This record gives sequence, C-alpha cells and structure tokens, in this order.
Amino acid sequence: MAEPAVKIQHEDRSARFFMYTAIAFFLITITIGLIMAIKFIFPEFLGGIGALSFGRIRAIHTNGVLFGWLLAANMGLAYYVVPRLCGAKLFSEKLGMVTLALWIVILLAAVVTLAAGDTQAREYLELNGWLDILVTIAWVMFAVNIFGTIAQRTYNQMYVSLWYLMGTILWTAILWIVGNLPVYSGVNDANVNWWFGHNAVGLIFTPFGVAMAYYFIPKSTGNPLYSHKLSIIGFWTIALLYIWTGAHHIIFGPIPTWLQTVAILFSVSLLIPVWTVIANFFGTLRGKWAQGDYIVKFLLSGTVFYLLTCFQGPMHSLRSVNQIVSKTDWIPGHAHMAVFGAFSFFAMAGIYYALPRILKRPIYSDKLGEWHFWFSFVGFLGFSVSLWIGGFLQGLQWMDHTISFLDTVKTMYPYYVVRMIAALLMVSGQIIFAFNIYKTVRSENAQLAMA
Amino acid sequence: MKFESKAVMLVLLVAAFMALGTYFTMIVPLMSKELNTATKDATPYTELELKGKRIYESEGCMYCHTQQVRNLLAETKRYGMGEEETFKRFGIRALIQAPPSQPGEYVFDKPHLLGTRRAGPDLARVGGKYDNTWHLNHFRDPRSTSPGSFMPAYTWLFDKNGQPKEEAIALVAYIQKLGTNLKWREEGVEQARKLAAAEAESGNANVAAVNGAEKQ
Repeated sequence: MAEPAVKIQHEDRSARFFMYTAIAFFLITITIGLIMAIKFIFPEFLGGIGALSFGRIRAIHTNGVLFGWLLAANMGLAYYVVPRLCGAKLFSEKLGMVTLALWIVILLAAVVTLAAGDTQAREYLELNGWLDILVTIAWVMFAVNIFGTIAQRTYNQMYVSLWYLMGTILWTAILWIVGNLPVYSGVNDANVNWWFGHNAVGLIFTPFGVAMAYYFIPKSTGNPLYSHKLSIIGFWTIALLYIWTGAHHIIFGPIPTWLQTVAILFSVSLLIPVWTVIANFFGTLRGKWAQGDYIVKFLLSGTVFYLLTCFQGPMHSLRSVNQIVSKTDWIPGHAHMAVFGAFSFFAMAGIYYALPRILKRPIYSDKLGEWHFWFSFVGFLGFSVSLWIGGFLQGLQWMDHTISFLDTVKTMYPYYVVRMIAALLMVSGQIIFAFNIYKTVRSENAQLAMA
Repeated sequence: MKFESKAVMLVLLVAAFMALGTYFTMIVPLMSKELNTATKDATPYTELELKGKRIYESEGCMYCHTQQVRNLLAETKRYGMGEEETFKRFGIRALIQAPPSQPGEYVFDKPHLLGTRRAGPDLARVGGKYDNTWHLNHFRDPRSTSPGSFMPAYTWLFDKNGQPKEEAIALVAYIQKLGTNLKWREEGVEQARKLAAAEAESGNANVAAVNGAEKQ
C-alpha cells in the first residue's frame, strides 16, 4: 500500500454519500429489529395492522440491514479504498452518484412493497421481479466503476483487498441472477434458495468485509500486513470451498443424504480460509490491543466475532449438533454475530477511519465513538448469548416429544426479554453513531476548515 | 504466473471455482429424478388452496413455521398423531408417527416454503390435525386456542363482525392441504388396526411396536 508519487486529489463524493445513506437505513432497519424483539414479548404491540405485522417487517429488517446498511456501507468504503489502492481517481464519480440514486429508489421501493406483502417468499430473495432487475443494473454500475478504476491503476501489484473485492463483485452478480431465476420449484427451490442464502453471507458479505478489514486494520494500527502468503491461501480456499455449503441448512430434511454430507464436509473445511485470514488479522493487530481507540476496538472485536461465528458455523453443520440447534433461536444469534458482530463492526471502523480523511476534519466526538462501541458490543453479546442459551434449551426440549410445543415456547420467554433489552442497547448505540456522524458532517469545524 | 496481479485471470479462476461447486450442489440435484417426482398421492393445489398459499407467503408465515419434518425420531413423534387424537378420531389407542418429509411431497410448491426457523411449530403435517373452526379462531385470536403463543392476531383477515374474509378461508384451505400428499394418517391407522387385530389373535403384546404404528 505505497503512496503514489504524485498526490492524487480524490473527490470521494460517491463514497461519502453512500456512507450517509447506509447509516440512515441502518437506523430505520435496526429499529424495526427492535420492534420485532418487542413483539416476542408483547404480541399485540403495533398489532392489528398488516403492514406492521412480524411476517411483513421481518423481510424489511433482513433486507434492510443487509442491502440498505451493510452492502451500501461497504460500497461507500470501496469507493474510498479502491482509488487509493490503485493510485488512480475513481473511474466515474457521476456514475457513482447515479448508482446511489438508483440504490435509494430500490431501498424505498423495497420497504413499500414488502410492507404491502408483495414478496417472492424466498428468504433473502424476497424482492419482487422488477426490483431484482434494478438491483442487477445498480450492481453492474458499481462493477463498472470498480473495475474501471482497477483498469486505470498506476501500481502493477494488486493488494489483497482488491482480489476480495473483485471476487465479491463476481460472486454477488452470479448469486443474485441465478438465485432469482423464476424456474425452480419444490425442494430444488429450497436448495437453490440456500445456495443463494448461505453464499450471500459467505461470498458477498464475508469477502467484502474481509476486503475492508484487510485495508483498515493495517491503516488504523500502522502495522504492515502480517503475511502475504496467508492472504493468498485465505483467498483461494474461500473461492474454492464456500460455494458447496448451502445445503447444510436442510440437514435431516427432504434432500438427498449425499448432498447433506457434501455440504457438511465443505462446511468443516471452511475452517481453513477463516483461520488463515484470522491469523493474518491478529498478526497485523499485534502490539496494538491495549492502546486501541474505538476504531481498533471495532476491528479487533470484529475479528474475534468473525473467528467465533465461523467456528460455530462448521460445528452447526455436524449432524449431532445440527439436530439440536437447527431451527431454534440459536441460529439468529449466530447470524447476528456474522452480520452485526463481525462485518458491521468492520464497516463502522471503516467509516470512522475514512470519513475524517474525506472531510478533512476529525470525528465530532471520540467519546461518543467509544460509547457507540460499548453499546454495540454489550448489546450484541446480550442479544446473542441469550438466544444461544435459550435456543439450545429449546432444541433439547424438542428432542422430547412429550413436552408440548407451547411449553418449549414458554422456556424462551426470559431469554426473549433479555434479547429485547439487548436490542434496545444495540439501537441506542447506532443512534449515537448516526448523531456523531451527523455532527461531524455538519460541524462548525467544517466551516473553519473550508474558510 | 501470479493470478493475484492479473485482474482478468483472477476473475476467470474465481468463476471456474464457483461453477464447479454450483454444478455439483445445485445443477445435479436439479436434474435428479428423485427430487422431481411427485409422491403417489400428491395432487396439485386447488385454486382456493393456491390463493391461501399466497396469503401464507405475503404474511411471512414461513419465517416462524417450517414445513419439513426432519428425519429424527423425536420429530416424527412430535408431529405425528398422539394417542388421544387417534383415539378420539379413529377409536384406537396408538401413536401414529409422522413420516419424515419427502422430496416428492413438494413438487407443486413454487416457491418452496420449507422454512428454517421454528418460532412456532412445524406445519408439514398439520393438515387434518384441527378442524376449520379451530384454525379460524386461531388466526383471529391465537391465544384463545393456544395460551402462551406469541403469534400475531391476523385481524385484517376478518371483517368487522369477526367473520372470516375470503383470504382467511383460503388460508385455512391451504393449511388443511399440508401433509396430505402422503396418506399417512389413514395408512397409519390402518396399520395400527391390523397390528391390534394380530395382537388380539396371537395374544402377544409385543407385535405392536413396528413400522411407525406404536401402541403405548
């Protein structure tokens, strides 16, 4: 990551407006998550209205945090990182802004259609057909911008973040298009759904988040990348192994046993790419644990959560574990560790690192940044640990058919209460985040700097 | 050659790896006969049932209810017919286990509604378990039939007088269809009767515990 000989003036317009949009949508959709958590305790909360019922807003929450927050935030960070890694200006800021406009149209239309119950009913593929096409167009525009910048690069060597990002663009495009083809039915539809659904985490959000962490960990700690060799092994093994694992969502289900076994074998083999990447991150973070500010705290805890979530994943796929935890609330606890604990933490760190450099002024309040971290960290732990304990107990109870289902639901009650309180902490943290960023953008400081 | 410094080569190799895994885990099952052949008793949805399925989809029922009895003993018993239920309806005391879900039961499902999470119970074998009135009461006020449930009340499927709209009736029709692509209740009871008869004839109580029909 050498600096270019001639200092390039980066405009970063697309980068920062993507980040603002992402944070705004994060606030909306994480609040919807809190409403859902409340509904587990008070089923009549906001009841009687179809558009606000659990089954409708659930899709808004998942699609919103995945595509409205995390993907948009990472796209914004990519518009910042890629030009700097290539020693070239972004291919087209104008194209970036058009992409953003389209992305906002998609997000708003998604909220309206999903609230109205207009859904394809396949998890993470809920958006209706014409929105799918708009997403594809937006993604192609993003791809043109990134590949266009890479083509104009002034360094021959490509840093590891760029490999992951190029992979992400390709994987996302293929997953999205093939996953959305309206040709599947029955158990094959379920199999394709989980080919998409699991790889959406593994080949969209994982490599995108890892790409960003590979950039921001060395940058924010001032340490050089620990090992080039490990980054090569990590990248090529994830490219080879991840795509095979989707069927582990249907273990003991109505799909052929060989397909389940293949999914299990490859799921366990994912320990290879994960542990090489983790070793590389920890190596790069060495010596900076204690003196870390909130940016390093986000990166460090994100790395730990990535390690843990990717240890859980392969273990869940084992039949002995799967029969207990699958279909229980353990799984949302696990999923939130990946999407919130690991990759959202990386993205937050990236925004805190990049935005001051784009705006050429410090973050409004480092203290609020610390509060944002602690609220997110403690909130997340409360959320997931409560679901892990409760979900595991419920899974064990399901093994005894003499315990009625309703009694197993009652077991969850205290854990749902803890989860609701933890969700409140998570939302509070993000309000602090949004406020801090808003003040940074709007601060008096800005006028001074520009004057 | 170093793939990592050649953008085009990198993208091509990544695509090749992806195609390999996709071929074996997605294309091969797509072409398999086993996954695309309907069970003997499978019938397509009626117009009303199909309408109900669409209500099920747009209300997001699949986020809290799976439609797959996993191949685990505890599940075949939990989602089967309990002794009380079998006695009340068929006059014989036997626990009829629900068969694990089979690919052939789903061939008319587009989209699939297998689900991944059970905030509420699995519904793959629910058809025929309760009568239509029970289901309507349950949708109107879940806690009246199932105390302790946190399912939302689907009041917008009913008119001001609490009478079911067409949507509610369609939804119930769909729910009652679930699991009927196997005649497992009828066959299970028949088998239990045969076993009971054989038992009475031979006077041997141990004959009963065979093949899904377990006398308790």
